[in-house]
Amino acid sequence: MAKQLIDTYVAELPPTVQKAVHQSTAATTEKRYQLLGDDYADSDGLRKLAGAIRQHTLEYLDTYLAQAEESLTARGAKVHYAVTAEDACQAVTGILQAAGITKVVKSKSMVTEEIHLNDYLANQGIESIESDLGEYIVQIDGDHPSHIVRPIIHKTRGDIARSFEREGLGDYNDDPETITRRARKFMRGKYLEAGAGITGANFVTADTGRLVLVTNEGNSRFCLAPAKVHIALVGIEKVVPSDADLSLLLNLLGRSATGQQLTVYTEFINGPRRADRPSGPEQMHVIFVDNRRTEVLASDCKEILRCIRCGACLNVCPVYRQASGHAYRSVYPGPVGAVLSPLLAGDKFKELADLPKASSLCGACNEVCPVDIPIPDLLLRLRNRAHQEHVPSPGTPPMAGFALLGSHPLIWRSAMTFGAAKDYLPLDRLPVPYLGAWLKTRTLPKWRGGKFRSWMKSRHGRNGGGGK
Amino acid sequence: MINLATRPKGKRVQLMATCLCDAFYDDVARATVEVLEHAGCEVDFPEGQTCCGQPAFNCGQWPAARKVMRHTASVFAGDAPIIVPSGSCAAMMFHGSTLEFEGEKDRAAIAQVGARTWELGDYLVNGLGIKEWPGEFRAKIAFHRACHTRGTPSGAAVLQLLQSIQGLEIVPFGEEEQCCGFGGTFSVSFPNVSTAMGDLKLEHLRAVHPDYIVSGDMSCLMHLGGLAEREGQPLKTLHFVQILRDALHQHHGQATH
Amino acid sequence: MTARETIFAAIKSALAPLPEREPRPAVAHGVADAQWLADETDNVALFVQRATAVGTMCFRSSSDCLAWLFEQQPARVFIPDELRDVTAKFEGIVEVVRSYSRDQVDEIDTAFTPAAGAIAESGTIILTDESTPDRLAALAPWTHIAVVRKDTIHRSVADALAAMPDDPNIIWVTGPSKTADVEGILIQGVHGPGVQGCLLI
Repeated sequence: MAKQLIDTYVAELPPTVQKAVHQSTAATTEKRYQLLGDDYADSDGLRKLAGAIRQHTLEYLDTYLAQAEESLTARGAKVHYAVTAEDACQAVTGILQAAGITKVVKSKSMVTEEIHLNDYLANQGIESIESDLGEYIVQIDGDHPSHIVRPIIHKTRGDIARSFEREGLGDYNDDPETITRRARKFMRGKYLEAGAGITGANFVTADTGRLVLVTNEGNSRFCLAPAKVHIALVGIEKVVPSDADLSLLLNLLGRSATGQQLTVYTEFINGPRRADRPSGPEQMHVIFVDNRRTEVLASDCKEILRCIRCGACLNVCPVYRQASGHAYRSVYPGPVGAVLSPLLAGDKFKELADLPKASSLCGACNEVCPVDIPIPDLLLRLRNRAHQEHVPSPGTPPMAGFALLGSHPLIWRSAMTFGAAKDYLPLDRLPVPYLGAWLKTRTLPKWRGGKFRSWMKSRHGRNGGGGK
Repeated sequence: MINLATRPKGKRVQLMATCLCDAFYDDVARATVEVLEHAGCEVDFPEGQTCCGQPAFNCGQWPAARKVMRHTASVFAGDAPIIVPSGSCAAMMFHGSTLEFEGEKDRAAIAQVGARTWELGDYLVNGLGIKEWPGEFRAKIAFHRACHTRGTPSGAAVLQLLQSIQGLEIVPFGEEEQCCGFGGTFSVSFPNVSTAMGDLKLEHLRAVHPDYIVSGDMSCLMHLGGLAEREGQPLKTLHFVQILRDALHQHHGQATH
Repeated sequence: MTARETIFAAIKSALAPLPEREPRPAVAHGVADAQWLADETDNVALFVQRATAVGTMCFRSSSDCLAWLFEQQPARVFIPDELRDVTAKFEGIVEVVRSYSRDQVDEIDTAFTPAAGAIAESGTIILTDESTPDRLAALAPWTHIAVVRKDTIHRSVADALAAMPDDPNIIWVTGPSKTADVEGILIQGVHGPGVQGCLLI
């Protein structure tokens, strides 16, 4: 039988990685749960309110995006738009070339992962260094992040120590503190020689044009302290109406992502340096990136654009905990990725149409989502879409026979009675792959088809009615 | 999602026994009838019933799922509350159906059926207003809240009833909120992930040595029980309604367990 | 069509079929205040408690701060002119420099900068370009002490957001720079300060 790629991946993933991912995600989930419980009587109500704010913003995106642009422009920032990933990369290159910059530092940004900015810049002869510790390790390893918030959740300290040794950052030493100090020293030099700092944004407020950036390491601050140019790549869906809305969103983001009341550094940036504020970059560029977000907005899965990239759904997801991030073969792993990645794939939807299947639909993702995205519903809609587009789904039984039985009560009842034959058949040797997949690790209970119906009938006769 | 707060609360009810009880777990369906009748309900069992269509719905084969749901809606005509001893099938009726019928002409008719559907525990506590359950059941149990009752009052309702039963001890266990790994056809299309999820659940459950694993969904229990048995370390499982029923019998001095 | 026109046209056409649009929900001021905030009456005490909880060292007086600093044996301490009064006691006890430039990133291991405010609820220090003489000064040294005036402490995150100053760079600092990227082990002082302090005046 053909296999689901994620299921095969799980079977082959080293148990050490699985254990590390499980421990770390379970611990973060617990921390999140404790903190929300300590701080809020009704955190569920807050999630729903935050979801409504995000949904409202999406449904008036033309208004708010234009307003954000106006606010930013009024404060001296230059706003650009990029329809495709290629356009976005070109815009960055254009700004850098115009300023004569060949070295940049980057802070963590999912949208730059999505458009493969580092590869593009490298091809243009521009050195681009990831400054987030985890992202830097991913970069030197030629790897991909496996978690939205914890990019190297799949690596051990030994892996990292070997990478550092290979990159000339000192002899092998797997002490996490030493690793961190070496990165600190190396990165300092990079910050100071970089001409530009490239960041993403967690939010952009329409009313004041503030780009909000959160980090625990302080790397985005450092990217924007000595550099001459700040370039921010921002998905068009990141807009929120006002600073006041941030009181809810920021409070939920830190708690949901890492179990912190607030992330260590929360930065609000709305313009380059000015005569009366002479520190910081001389130029600020904001590139609003579409890259198929407008297609998602037009789809029946638009709610996924509410996402604020906290990673709580990854941490709680029993499938992500088994599979880790690379199993999802895309920039966004876990439940959010299972929805977003196929949608952002455009005409390659079919290649990722298996991701929405990798879920028991347990709904834990929705329960923890700080913006109440109905992820299971979206997974189901994408499964329906995949079926309509005739994408093969390995291991999934065809349901035509079930539909026939389920809509014909007489056939159904006969099947219930004759199903008893199952107990006398060598089920594990029948050429029915679905049955085999069940029986390999599980038994089936004894067939009792129709027994309840007979009991009900006999009581009916006895009682002379449906009830007592 | 349908507004769960406005569902009918009458005592003349329709029982949706579920396909799993029809095929495997007749005692659970029987217990449901007995418990409902004890609560003063008149239970009607529409003979034409088959399944809520969830297997097809969950694997994205919505035309097939709609065919079954249309049949189910016709079988459960009327305005009586529909009671289901399964959080999963209940969620299919009041939530899944509204998704699969988006843009369909008969969506309103389907929604009418969903808007009458109650998961059993939810109905007993929030429909009938039963706050405690009489009788006695001497056992230590671990209660697995089925995932499809997330965001519904069912989990809390069932726990409230169980906690009121004399002699019943409910033990907490690790990572209680985690799924058992069943997920319908997920269990056969992702057998490795599904089994690993189930094993993790069993590990946590075994660690607290319950006499029974109890849930409101036989699908979870079929998966967990089947895994445990295949591993050669069987675990006893019970639907909560079997406990409610048996507690009543203890009450009347006629133990069945 | 320009990229801007293409994107706005696509947004409009995506939203056109919606039968109705989600109205803007009312977000009451303080809706996401921590529930225990209502029981707290003393902003300063709460700030100290919360800041300490996230790993920020709090000093109630410049003498306390000096005593601690002296033990650390700093190489060079940057104290801008505007803090001269606050830190007068430091003169002659630790080596003080009055200006900061990027050439000194490796030499100055301790810096004092004036904060623009603070948030009691979260133990957060607020820095702005207006208050910070050089962004690097508050970021590059291993030890950073923000000098917070007690009357600038906001009660809640919501209050601080409602009073955001006109400044192109506002930074909320809630503890020292940290990472848990390597096997989830918490390490302080990744890029920014490994020791974050706060001197209340």
